[in-house]
Amino acid sequence: MSEIALENLGKTFGDFTALAEMNLTIANGEFMALLGPSGCGKSTTMNMIAGMLRPSSGAIRFNGRDVVDVPMAKRGVGFVFQNYAIFTHMSVRENLAYGLRAQGTPAAEINKRVQAFAELLQLDTMLDRRAAGLSVNILQRLAIGRSAILEPSIFLLDEPLSNVDAAFRAVMRSELKSLQGEFDQTMVYVTHDQLEAMTMADRIAVMDHGKLLQVGTPLDIYNAPADTFVAKFIGAPGMNILNGRFVENAGVVAVEVPGLGTLDVPPTLQAAAKDKKAPNIQIGFRPEQVNASQSGLTMHVGFVERIGARTIVHLEHSGSTAKAVLPSDATPPLAGSDWTFSASDEAIRLFDPTSGQALKGRAH
Amino acid sequence: MTNVSAMAPAVEKIDAPATQSARLGLWLTLPAQLLVLFIALFPILMQVYISLTDWSPLDGIPWWKAHELWIGLLNYADLMADNRFWGALWRTMFVMAICVPVQFLLGLGLAVLFVDDFRGKRVLYSTLLVPMMVVPAVAGYMFFMLFQSGGPVNDLLSFFTSDPVRIAWLSDPDLALIAVMIADIWQWTPLMFLILLAGMISVPQDQQMAAILLGASWWRRFFTIVLPRMKSIIIIALAIRVIEIFKIFDTLFIMTGGGPGVATETISVYIYKVTQQELIWSYVAAIALAILIVLSVVSVFAIKRMQRGQKP
Repeated sequence: MSEIALENLGKTFGDFTALAEMNLTIANGEFMALLGPSGCGKSTTMNMIAGMLRPSSGAIRFNGRDVVDVPMAKRGVGFVFQNYAIFTHMSVRENLAYGLRAQGTPAAEINKRVQAFAELLQLDTMLDRRAAGLSVNILQRLAIGRSAILEPSIFLLDEPLSNVDAAFRAVMRSELKSLQGEFDQTMVYVTHDQLEAMTMADRIAVMDHGKLLQVGTPLDIYNAPADTFVAKFIGAPGMNILNGRFVENAGVVAVEVPGLGTLDVPPTLQAAAKDKKAPNIQIGFRPEQVNASQSGLTMHVGFVERIGARTIVHLEHSGSTAKAVLPSDATPPLAGSDWTFSASDEAIRLFDPTSGQALKGRAH
Repeated sequence: MTNVSAMAPAVEKIDAPATQSARLGLWLTLPAQLLVLFIALFPILMQVYISLTDWSPLDGIPWWKAHELWIGLLNYADLMADNRFWGALWRTMFVMAICVPVQFLLGLGLAVLFVDDFRGKRVLYSTLLVPMMVVPAVAGYMFFMLFQSGGPVNDLLSFFTSDPVRIAWLSDPDLALIAVMIADIWQWTPLMFLILLAGMISVPQDQQMAAILLGASWWRRFFTIVLPRMKSIIIIALAIRVIEIFKIFDTLFIMTGGGPGVATETISVYIYKVTQQELIWSYVAAIALAILIVLSVVSVFAIKRMQRGQKP
């Protein structure tokens, strides 16, 4: 069991800053997903935790102890590589036993533990097969088992599901989650797939361009994105963000989106909206929270995508685009028509157009 | 030959023209194939033919009439009893048994040093490869000079002794072979190094990282990941050097001419002497075939091992 603390962690490659001032504490036994697009610094962070990269600045602490100078072989970190890095010239058994052998564990003990792990991971029928011919699904379990057999207190997984097919990915998501319950380690999981992060992680750290943007539970991040990047990145499709400006009518602030119409600012955000001096604002709402309405915003319906369980309506007007996700039993607007819709008070989010930061609401 | 519309029921119909065009292709390439076969096989068949006769260019009859001098397997019988041949073969094997392992270990050691980056790696790398580029005849001359009794090797050794060293390297029957082997090691370790380095670089980085993260020491990683993954390329490197040492000639011939006496006479030097000095061509053909058979067996063995290594 280990707590991982990243303090002002930074990494530069020449002039390029891969990671800047990362502060993140991952609790004992927590499943933390590092989520972000390619090049956001998530793998760099992971490699520094593992010891493959040396940080340019900052500290990495396991249970309070700075491990920057601890070589990677001594960190006691389990690591599952994106392509699994299975020793294909060895048998499944030799792969599983590799770490124990390296530690000089007695042969009888190795046999016992390999057998136990093979059963747990359903690899016991193929222990003496060569790893080279095995399917991706089995390689994946073998990769996890090979690290897990050493019972590391920290387990790092680098996009382990990116090579497997969609059906198996769904199976593995639940399997990984239950494996963590089994081994009870602190897990750090790097992924660019928000679905993996949302379904498995206790908390998600969203990153972009070497910066940590937001840390929170999956629902926190979905409901209260810290900025427009997180708002658009999380959710499929992401949050609609439209440029507008504040208008005040009888002491009540609303947002007017030029050419489209006006949406009321919910009561929880009124105070924040009034505090803001500049009139320009970005208004956001999730496509799932859009309803047909008498008043609100009016946009052209571009095309209507029916994908079974739901229908995605693509909307466009004078350079702005938005999406609406409707349940499949709702009657979608016709393509080519104009459609008026609004979003409920709970759905509305406001963002500063220059910094992209969300305006904090307050309950009243 | 693939047909996009080849759905299951139509397979037979589509296969017929495919076979036809394959047959046409065979006919079209037949002349070229025969030519290649002829070029490859003709010298060997000619050797077999001549080795069964007592023909020599001095006999005044053209080679295709050599059957007039038919002696059957007599040349091969002579070969079995030819002490000079067996001596040369044994010497060649001895050089191989010393040089190939030394070159392999040196090459492997250098590859280990060069697989990681360090300052001045490129310059040092190019320098190390220079011996390989030197024309073997020139290398022969270099070592001929180096090993003279008043030469630099003795001068160097003199630093460590009170009296000036005056070893007659190339005229001492035991030392001459050592000098020849040193020259071969100098010239051909770089090739071994080059091949092994290429093999070592191609060992996947993430596998090595995985091994480190599993707590494996450098030695454990080297013996359980790096070397096993280099198996095919090691066999290729060793096979190349084994075959090349069978053919060792130019450097050696310039350094010692096979002497003193027959002290450094290897198979190639022996064949050369029998051909050029004694002109017993039919006998040479028998020797050449015997060597070819030995080398073929070695190569087949190496290739078999290689293919087994590549299989999953």
